[in-house]
Amino acid sequence: MAEVVVGVLRRAILAIGVGTLVAAILRLRGSGGVPPRQGSWRQLSGPDFR
Amino acid sequence: MTTVAVIGAGVVGQRVARQLAASGLVKRLILGSRRPQRLHGFARQLIDIDIEVISPGPLPPADVTVLAQPTGGHAELAEEALGNGSHIVSVSDSVKDAQGLLDLDTAAVKADRSVIIGAAFSPGMSCLLARHAGSRFDRVEEVHVARMGTGGPACQRQLHRARTKESIDWRDGGWRKRPGGTGRELVWFPDPLGARDCYSAALPDALLLSSNFPDANRITSKVAGTRRDRLTAWLPMLRAPHSDGGPGALRIEIRGVRDGIQTTDVIGAIDYPSAAAAAVAAIGAEWSILGTLPAGSWSLGMLDDPVPWLQELEERGVTAAVYEGISTN
Repeated sequence: MAEVVVGVLRRAILAIGVGTLVAAILRLRGSGGVPPRQGSWRQLSGPDFR
Repeated sequence: MTTVAVIGAGVVGQRVARQLAASGLVKRLILGSRRPQRLHGFARQLIDIDIEVISPGPLPPADVTVLAQPTGGHAELAEEALGNGSHIVSVSDSVKDAQGLLDLDTAAVKADRSVIIGAAFSPGMSCLLARHAGSRFDRVEEVHVARMGTGGPACQRQLHRARTKESIDWRDGGWRKRPGGTGRELVWFPDPLGARDCYSAALPDALLLSSNFPDANRITSKVAGTRRDRLTAWLPMLRAPHSDGGPGALRIEIRGVRDGIQTTDVIGAIDYPSAAAAAVAAIGAEWSILGTLPAGSWSLGMLDDPVPWLQELEERGVTAAVYEGISTN
């Protein structure tokens, strides 16, 4: 019984580890930074086009 | 005598005709319509200009031909107009039309005429804004275009069809097709339109932007839609489209590197798509008359300098906006 529990735990830890590794790789590969999340729209006018 | 033919006299076509008539550059305006009898009242409103209303048939000789009719067959008509020695401005937002028009590049260069592809709101103004925002980056890695709203009834029918067709996105150096109606994303358009769910659809923006963003890993385009739009996209349109599908909006998100720092810029616009599309198309036609545009087949996303276009649009009341914000994590 104890062996079964340990096996399940081992597999769960392995799954979490693999998931963390994949997430870390995806996180590192992600590009573009974080989009602006607070702010407002400003109308563009003449000086913005120079 | 400068002659311009506007083929298709729907909501956008009529607005283009009004702007061209007011430009002072056009002496003779030919309006092509499936129902010419409906245009007599409109033609009487255009003063100080010769107006001729024609039915579908061979294209008339003209210095510039504006293709403002419903999508489909724009490439064939453009080829015919090129044969007449005409510059061409197409407002089509169909992927097939855009691909066909891009294929006319060699013929257009040989004829020393310009074929402007997707001179509308999206594509068109969306390409100008993406190009302008992208020029401020050292390296552009991602371009995401989202739009909401439509022009007239023909534009609404085209969008209805596009929602069920495969979208074409640029991903890691190749084209990736995704089913229409997938990839839901909450997009914040300029106020007061605010947040809308957007989905992939058969839109040509990525196709028309890719050549000027060679380093980009991703170029995508999406369109706003409701649950009802998605549910009924597979059916014929259940009710007649509105006479004008505005107001609409654009939001273009550019991600890349500026001064060695990962940066995201957001630029957009809010207007009636039919009005903005007509302004873009009219500018294209007027500048074709003046001979200031390059020969060949190109979209507004392929321009080296979009600023004169944006300045002229601003003069005509079509303004852009930039989102000035901060990242919170």
